[in-house]
Amino acid sequence: MSHAYTSTLMRLLIGFAVLLCISLSVQASAQTASDKIHYTPDQIRDLGFEIAHELRCPMSVNQNLFDSGAPIASELKGQIFLMLEQGESKAEIIDFLVQRYGEKIRYQPSFSGATALLWFGPILLLFGIIAFAVMWIREQRKHQDIKANTYE
Amino acid sequence: MFPELGLIFLIISTVTAVLLSFIPLYASYTKNHYLFSYVKTLTALMTVTISASILCLLISFLLDDFSVAYVANHSNTQLATLYKVAAVWGSHEGSMLFWVVSIAIWGCLIVFSSRYQAPLFIGRMIAILAFVIAGFNLFMLFTSNPFARLLPNFPIEGRDLNPILQDIGLIFHPPMLFLGYVGLTVTFAAAIAALLGGKFTQQHASYLRPWVLMAWVFLTGGNAFGSWWAYNELGWGGWWFWDPVENASFIPWLVATALLHSVVLSHQRSSFKIATLLLCLLAFSLSLLGTFLVRSGIVQSVHAFASDPTRGMSILFLLGVFVCGALTLFALKANLIKSKSDFALISRDTVMLLGNIVLVVAAISVLLGTFYPLLFELLNLGTLSVGAPYFNSIFVPLTFVAVLLMGAAPLIKWQQQSLNRLYPLAGLFIAASLIGVLVAMQTRDGFNPWVWLGATSASWIFFTLGYLVFSLRQQGIAVISQKAAMIIAHFGVAITIIGATAVSNFETQELLRMGPGQGKVVAGYTFVYEDTVDVDAKSYTAIQANIRVTDSSDNFVGYITPQRQTFKTNAMETTQAGIIRNLVRDLYVSSGQQLSETEYLVRISHKPLACWIWIGGLMMMLGGLIAAMSGLYNLRRQQVAATKPLTTAQFAVKEPA
Repeated sequence: MSHAYTSTLMRLLIGFAVLLCISLSVQASAQTASDKIHYTPDQIRDLGFEIAHELRCPMSVNQNLFDSGAPIASELKGQIFLMLEQGESKAEIIDFLVQRYGEKIRYQPSFSGATALLWFGPILLLFGIIAFAVMWIREQRKHQDIKANTYE
Repeated sequence: MFPELGLIFLIISTVTAVLLSFIPLYASYTKNHYLFSYVKTLTALMTVTISASILCLLISFLLDDFSVAYVANHSNTQLATLYKVAAVWGSHEGSMLFWVVSIAIWGCLIVFSSRYQAPLFIGRMIAILAFVIAGFNLFMLFTSNPFARLLPNFPIEGRDLNPILQDIGLIFHPPMLFLGYVGLTVTFAAAIAALLGGKFTQQHASYLRPWVLMAWVFLTGGNAFGSWWAYNELGWGGWWFWDPVENASFIPWLVATALLHSVVLSHQRSSFKIATLLLCLLAFSLSLLGTFLVRSGIVQSVHAFASDPTRGMSILFLLGVFVCGALTLFALKANLIKSKSDFALISRDTVMLLGNIVLVVAAISVLLGTFYPLLFELLNLGTLSVGAPYFNSIFVPLTFVAVLLMGAAPLIKWQQQSLNRLYPLAGLFIAASLIGVLVAMQTRDGFNPWVWLGATSASWIFFTLGYLVFSLRQQGIAVISQKAAMIIAHFGVAITIIGATAVSNFETQELLRMGPGQGKVVAGYTFVYEDTVDVDAKSYTAIQANIRVTDSSDNFVGYITPQRQTFKTNAMETTQAGIIRNLVRDLYVSSGQQLSETEYLVRISHKPLACWIWIGGLMMMLGGLIAAMSGLYNLRRQQVAATKPLTTAQFAVKEPA
């Protein structure tokens, strides 16, 4: 009986992991779309604000471009909107600014060997602890069964 | 004279705390009842002296005694009295003193309450609390004395409280957070006391529960008020920015949330005792780590106001002493703690365990993200930033899983649940996710997965709570009211999730040049910039924009008056946003830099359901408060029932507790 429960649980967990991977890859593929894009003014506004929210102001302590009142932030916001009007994609704009101001400008660190722990740490930790807990519960059950059998 | 008195009181309380941290332990070791009877006296002495000490600091503030460095640096004769009071905890030295005083008072209340029937356990606990107090008192006396003098050349006028802190937020947010940390200190002491005794009974868990709940209520309040304050103050990144200082208070909250559910398991089911104790240690350690993070200045934050690397070292040292000591004790004694664990894989016990795991993993992930830039630099890998986009992409899915478990837990039986009883749950989940799909389709670019996660979570909580009340209806109002605290708190979580999802995904913003006579339509509201006026307040002058707002059917909504303030004492500039609030939406306008003679850069936002974030927070606090009060009430009842036949003196050591 308990074995059936475990396998159901495991299947659920695996399903969840697969979902996560899919959502990540969908995001990735959305960002690689290239060539010149023609945006509507509303799209430019929304996308521009979105990018400005994801980048750090090089002059302030810890503020994104959108919130920062520093002159450089206004300049960079202008740059973002200019590039959007020229039909650049979000990824291209961010890459351009990262090249100019360094990796620190990006609030969402890019994936690399050095940031693998940052991106996969939480997921590994979650599944690690859950696997441990499930094994522990089954172990405890076994002990209970043995106890019950010996005393009755 | 008052500063000297304050210092003397601080020294007396330090000496008392040192004594108090040894006497109960020695007395319980040698079974010396006479020595044990000093516990109450010493606790009272320590609490009275340290309270007198903070009172002296308060008097120095009220008397504008600028010969005291702390007063001279954080006050001013022009400062409103309320802020003079708040300035006591407005910076490093005073906040440390406030923290220590709160620990002493909380400990004193426990020692003098007749609810608790385990004198040995309480005695050990107060010893640990006194040890913590002694540690921080010594830290204050040697590195950050709040009574340090500026003699003989003291200034005639103080330097003023940091203008940005002169806000109603300073009166609520820091004390709440400190009281939360104090609560975690009390639970830490209780966990150490249990480990020292090699015993953690259901009775101990029933003592621990209200304390954990109160700590959690204060932490919730501290975080919620902080978020509300940051929302109102421009340049603080809005209601939540995942700034290191915000994370420093959020991580202990996450662990405290796991702890409070773990205590319920230990209390009601006598299980997961080791996990509960470990979480107590973890929550306290993380709150100290947060203090270190904030006070040392090793991270870049917009909220750090009292950072100094030398203090960081001292706090790190204290952190090392407490954490290493506690973990060593845990490693030595944890095997003595006996737990029951007779439950199947499908049971409420498992679901709650999984929920706690998810919460702890979320806390560790936030910690990882907060420290990663630091580690990165230490290892010479270059620099990088970890900010909102990263935290959201990790935290939101984890919250979703936690919410699924949270909705399911009350509907699943303790110990064992047959699978076919889970089908209604599956039905509820399908319904919730359909609602999620409907809401997620409302975004501008089609289906938005983040909105789906938020909307599904919220409706899942509503459905499961509704189903719970429905299935309990025959058992009467008494059973439902027993669960009222949980229902209110979980309902609050759903409300907060709705607010957060709406603000993050359905906000409409405009950034534009505006001067008198110009207007703009945002989300159906018309904003007309009427004029710019100069405002002269007590402590600042301001340039205020008067913006008239009308809704889509031309009804007058109100004036929004964002200000750019310049403080008189130090010419510092801040920007105060103008907000018109109601339950459905906030209209938020801030005026930025001047672009021409009459024009300013104006930011206009329509934030749907913004205030739900904090209404949910208040509901969580209410739920926690009800649970804590009913726990204390039950303790009182048990105690009355237990002491009737007993005539033994209360502090006699009756049993090895």
